[in-house]
Amino acid sequence: MDANPKFLNPRGDMQPSTTTTSSSDSAAEGGGEAKWAAKLLRECAAAMSQKDSGKMHHLLWMLNELASPYGDPDQKIAAYFLQALFCKATDSGRRCYKTLASVAERSHSFDSSRKLILKFQEVSPWTTFGHVASNGATLEAFEGEPNLHIIDVSTTLCTQWPTLLEALATRTDDTPRLRLTVVAATAAVKSAMKEITPRIEKFARLMGVPFELSVVADLSKDSLTVREGEAVAVNCVGALSPNLIETMKWVNPKVVTVVEEEADFSSNRDDFVECFEECLRFHTVYFDMLEESFAATSNEKLMLERECLRSIVRVLACDGDDKVEEHERERGRQWSERLREAGFSAVAHSEDVVDDVRALLKRYRAGWSLVAAAEDDQTGIFLAWKEEPVVWASVWKPSK
Amino acid sequence: MTDNESTISSQNPLTSGSSPPPKKKRNLPGTPDPEAEVIALSPKTLMATNRFVCEVCGKGFQRDQNLQLHRRGHNLPWKLKQRSSKEVRKRVYVCPEKACVHHHPSRALGDLTGIKKHFCRKHGEKKWKCDKCAKRYAVQSDWKAHAKTCGTREYKCDCGTIFSRRDSFITHRAFCDALAQETARVTAATHAPNHINYHFLGMPQHFPSIFKPINDQTLDPIHELTHSTQDHHPPFANPSFSSLPPSTFYNLNWDTTHTSPNIPNHKEATVSSLFSTHQNQISSNHEAEASARMSATALLQKAAQIGATTTDPAMILGSFGVKCNDNGLDGNRLCGLYSTSSVTSGFGSDVESSVNENSAMNGQLQMYTCSKRRRVQSYEEEGGETRDFLGVGINPICHPSSINGWI
Repeated sequence: MDANPKFLNPRGDMQPSTTTTSSSDSAAEGGGEAKWAAKLLRECAAAMSQKDSGKMHHLLWMLNELASPYGDPDQKIAAYFLQALFCKATDSGRRCYKTLASVAERSHSFDSSRKLILKFQEVSPWTTFGHVASNGATLEAFEGEPNLHIIDVSTTLCTQWPTLLEALATRTDDTPRLRLTVVAATAAVKSAMKEITPRIEKFARLMGVPFELSVVADLSKDSLTVREGEAVAVNCVGALSPNLIETMKWVNPKVVTVVEEEADFSSNRDDFVECFEECLRFHTVYFDMLEESFAATSNEKLMLERECLRSIVRVLACDGDDKVEEHERERGRQWSERLREAGFSAVAHSEDVVDDVRALLKRYRAGWSLVAAAEDDQTGIFLAWKEEPVVWASVWKPSK
Repeated sequence: MTDNESTISSQNPLTSGSSPPPKKKRNLPGTPDPEAEVIALSPKTLMATNRFVCEVCGKGFQRDQNLQLHRRGHNLPWKLKQRSSKEVRKRVYVCPEKACVHHHPSRALGDLTGIKKHFCRKHGEKKWKCDKCAKRYAVQSDWKAHAKTCGTREYKCDCGTIFSRRDSFITHRAFCDALAQETARVTAATHAPNHINYHFLGMPQHFPSIFKPINDQTLDPIHELTHSTQDHHPPFANPSFSSLPPSTFYNLNWDTTHTSPNIPNHKEATVSSLFSTHQNQISSNHEAEASARMSATALLQKAAQIGATTTDPAMILGSFGVKCNDNGLDGNRLCGLYSTSSVTSGFGSDVESSVNENSAMNGQLQMYTCSKRRRVQSYEEEGGETRDFLGVGINPICHPSSINGWI
């Protein structure tokens, strides 16, 4: 089952304000010789960009000797980035990506995806951070509304909704009706929804929440309807794009909740080295996080790491005509700009919701923190791993 | 909503003369004595602390009882020790919130502290917040009670997985395959009167506080959510399970940790065992502990049978809706009750059961369930010590020796 690569494969984020080496140092373990992978990879990327094939081959060879997807985080990073660099060098990025995608689809079942995502949510707030922030904001925006309609464009396979259903059942005096429309863009998600739908429906019955679930292919008027008297929310997790921002307007949502990984892969597509740095830095943080969240021999950790390869290959080795994604990730600041231009204005998460998020983070291992958007033009909140912002959550409403 | 105080409004036995004090009639919560004086306090007055002021030194107290205790310290002459000699009319209080059910005098509450807490909980700002789980409370004592147990709970899914975090448990539950099986079994087993389930509404932190029976399946969310080791019980206990080997019953995608039947948390154990036995009409005798406190349902039945022959003791038993902290007292109370026909106060605010009700089983059942609700609530808030559910000396029924003159 192909969990959307966008989300489970985080793409790198460049923090232009800080030097990349120091920030990747703080994210990965220790210092000194532990950074050998980053060093070699960077040099290789530079050599590639300068078309220095001799140096490039030499570095590729070295990396090959030292890398391993079963070793420590450095070795893992080396292994996955090596493969992407190799694809780039041999111009086989697109082919590689497609192969990886089809393998993933064949090898994943609903059971394995479910197990994977639930385990991930248990050991890390990477996805649950966004769920809690968004559900809290949605509940507050929906206060007093009897008929709710949530349009879900997400990569987390409806794991966001059980807690919302429970909240609707327990926190409201009059339990409202909830209609959930899930946008399943890929065949894999569609097939997963076949298993998920009866389960969520049953759970909603259990909670005593009048509930309807439908699965659609996109957000167009042909695919879904908005009923009169409904309050609509659009929930977007790891699936935002300029196209989606435009398309969602017609539903006239009361609130739009956005959760994205804090990564920029779109503004630097023309500069390979910069793009590479970004990708490397982000994944170093991610792998470090995985390493400390899961047990050493965890199968789930391995699977999540493998999922990353697809996105690393896509970002680094597929561009120009090879582009396989419409639009790559952007950082919160960039998305904010787009949303504002499209006619949305930001809404801050309420104190109660922020408290809920903080309480959530307390339930996980140390290392996580909540960072509020600092500057004036920034909005939303960030989940940070060892002080590095990694996931961005924000709330928007149409500006009248 | 438990009120830990022992008396609501005092009845001074001295002023009543030599005859035994009139029995205190207890109505259902929010159905006050029609002759009572209705007091409507403004929110400000209601929430004002220290309403009771000592006339000697001017010190203020939150409760009348505290003031009386304080007054003793002033060594007042005997006469002045009495409260004012005029008849104290029973007072009931209405909620200042217009939209509230208890705003109307016909639904007034009889206890000042009760109405205060009600107002706070329902209409007040939730100022108190749990550090661990962010749950908010309007009443400080509620918050404190919660903080004692927060994070200590364990949630167990039917598939065997145990969770320390409620959110992971909920998410897991929604996706767990065991859920599919569970509802099938529950619909088969459900037969009980609905109202018994509703009486567990007082435990919002654990279960959906509103059960909306869309269909039968939703009658037993508690059971479905937290019911423990069904697959470990001998099949005979559950008729619908008798033909199914436990291990293959669930789609085992998960590592079923075959834990011991002992449920980790006492409170959860008793609640879920209540439901399980209730639904399946068995006594939870699979656990040593549980068997010592017989299931409430089985007791209800037993009492009903016994009640059929001797109605009075059953009535009196049913009227004990309160905590019986000390098992040793149970026998004494019952004993005392048996001889006098009055019920001592000892009740909190909301639930009142009539001792003199001469209705038959229905009334009795009603009392049992009322008291069960209170029992569970006080149980919840007091930190989960072992208590007998109906507050009627369950132990005596199981261990006849500890009771005087009941069995």
